[in-house]
Amino acid sequence: MSSVVQARNVSKSFGATKAVDNVSFDIEGGRITGLIGPNGAGKTTLLKAVLGLTDCEGSLSVLGLDPFRQRKELMQNICFIADVAVLPRWIKVSQLLDFVEAVHPKFSRKSADDLLAQTKVSANAKVRELSKGMVTQLHLSIIMAIDAKLLILDEPTLGLDIIFRKEFYTNLLNDYFDGERTIIITTHQIEEIENLLTDVMFINDGRLVLNSSMETLPERYSELMTSGENTDKARKFGPFYEREVFGKTVLTFEGVNRDELSAFGELRTPDIADLFVAKVKGMAQ
Amino acid sequence: MITNQLALIQRELWEHRSLYVVPAILGLLLVLVEITGQVSISAFGTHIDMALLGATNISANERGAAISAMLATSSILFVIAMLFIAVFYALDTLYAERKDKSILFWRSMPVTDAETVISKLITAVILIPLVTLAIIAASHIIMLVVTSIWIGLRGANAWHLIWSAVPLLDNWAATLIFVLALSLWLSPFVGWFLLVSAYTKRSPILMAVLPIILLTMLERIILGSTLLWHAVTFRTAGIPIFRDHNFDSLFSRGTLAEVAQDGISLVSMLDVGRFLASPGLWVGLVVCGLFVTAAIYVRRFRGDS
Repeated sequence: MSSVVQARNVSKSFGATKAVDNVSFDIEGGRITGLIGPNGAGKTTLLKAVLGLTDCEGSLSVLGLDPFRQRKELMQNICFIADVAVLPRWIKVSQLLDFVEAVHPKFSRKSADDLLAQTKVSANAKVRELSKGMVTQLHLSIIMAIDAKLLILDEPTLGLDIIFRKEFYTNLLNDYFDGERTIIITTHQIEEIENLLTDVMFINDGRLVLNSSMETLPERYSELMTSGENTDKARKFGPFYEREVFGKTVLTFEGVNRDELSAFGELRTPDIADLFVAKVKGMAQ
Repeated sequence: MITNQLALIQRELWEHRSLYVVPAILGLLLVLVEITGQVSISAFGTHIDMALLGATNISANERGAAISAMLATSSILFVIAMLFIAVFYALDTLYAERKDKSILFWRSMPVTDAETVISKLITAVILIPLVTLAIIAASHIIMLVVTSIWIGLRGANAWHLIWSAVPLLDNWAATLIFVLALSLWLSPFVGWFLLVSAYTKRSPILMAVLPIILLTMLERIILGSTLLWHAVTFRTAGIPIFRDHNFDSLFSRGTLAEVAQDGISLVSMLDVGRFLASPGLWVGLVVCGLFVTAAIYVRRFRGDS
């Protein structure tokens, strides 16, 4: 399947600071990619470039379109939820649905009404009268009712309680993801999305520090928990990050044969959160 | 394209309810004032009050002219309100969507920035005058109904005295032409306000007025000329739509009886040809177009920042 997103040397500066610095990647159709990075790493800026909401240097193609110059065509096939509540607060739920129905050719009013019927959001309420969770439910119901090829979620569950977050991701997988649609997610709660991702990208200081499918992660990365003299022996294999846990040393390796390491201690595949910390801090070490 | 435009304009009416609420409140106030019997008008050098409407010793033409003049005077209040509404609307509309971040939602829909900004221009220049006219007409009808009841209670025939005497359609047609012409004439200001609204990070009113004052002063100091000041005052001083006389000379032409001998037609006081032939109109529309184009580009490049 061809690339849904193709980025080549994409950069975006705000004055002297480079928010996105020479990033290249491909996202294939039918994948669920997690874009992970600390605050201010450039995630939102990169997503905005993909969405055509901001101009950027380099070459960027989304669904074969130039996002900034063909935003209208692009938006017929893309949906997104931003990291902040962006639904206008003054609008009534029914008005919002009327508007989307009028301007969006791929929106199904029936699906949206059905989805909203499962929530406590009433059609006569104004957005400002809804709780934060209900606003997200409303936005999500609209987006799920759009037959889009690419869905971009920027911190979709920020500020929501854990029950809602769990439901959100379950619904996303069950109701929305059909193996053909492509999803890009950013979040701070990495562990919540870890097992639904097919691919993961780390971004730090505007640079892409990791881009891998989830299947190949165990082949590339390993984490060794060791102590005493084994620590020094294992260090010879060139770990890129070290940390101390309960008096033991945890070393993180990239591209080192597991069989060679297993002699020195307990070996496992790092989870995404640990790997992320190792990558980001390892660069600083 | 047209469906999008209609949806966008409908959206503006949902968001900016003051576009019709403010004139509606003004209309209600006028009706209240009338009901409490406070309306008395000096026009055409003749003192007219409500009692005159019941008088049978003046001709239908004179009575029609008197009532039409009274209604037109009330319309002026609505037109003044309309100008304020349009100014505040244009200054707020592109600023508010960035302030509450809803621009991110609007731009996630398959609608171009040009379509959105143009819907706001249409709202300011065409929709606001049309809404104003509709409310003017409604308030005229209510006022005349109140008057009819008032007269009817005194045993007179309101149909004969008022409804058949007042050229209502002429009055409304003239008002429609006038409010549309006025907003086209002032459209460069609307364009400028939309640009400021799309651009500024704070206080759109201040950012709309300050540059004009500063540039005027700079032009005066550096070039010694006053072109910008003249461009602004030329447009605010008057609109070239009245037929060979303005209202001042009309009012000074004599008594009501003299003016209204042949009936009164507000439409006949307007010269649409003269308006359409005035270079000021077309220059203004071009300037408006430039500002609006700039506003579209600012919205595209600036995003939600």
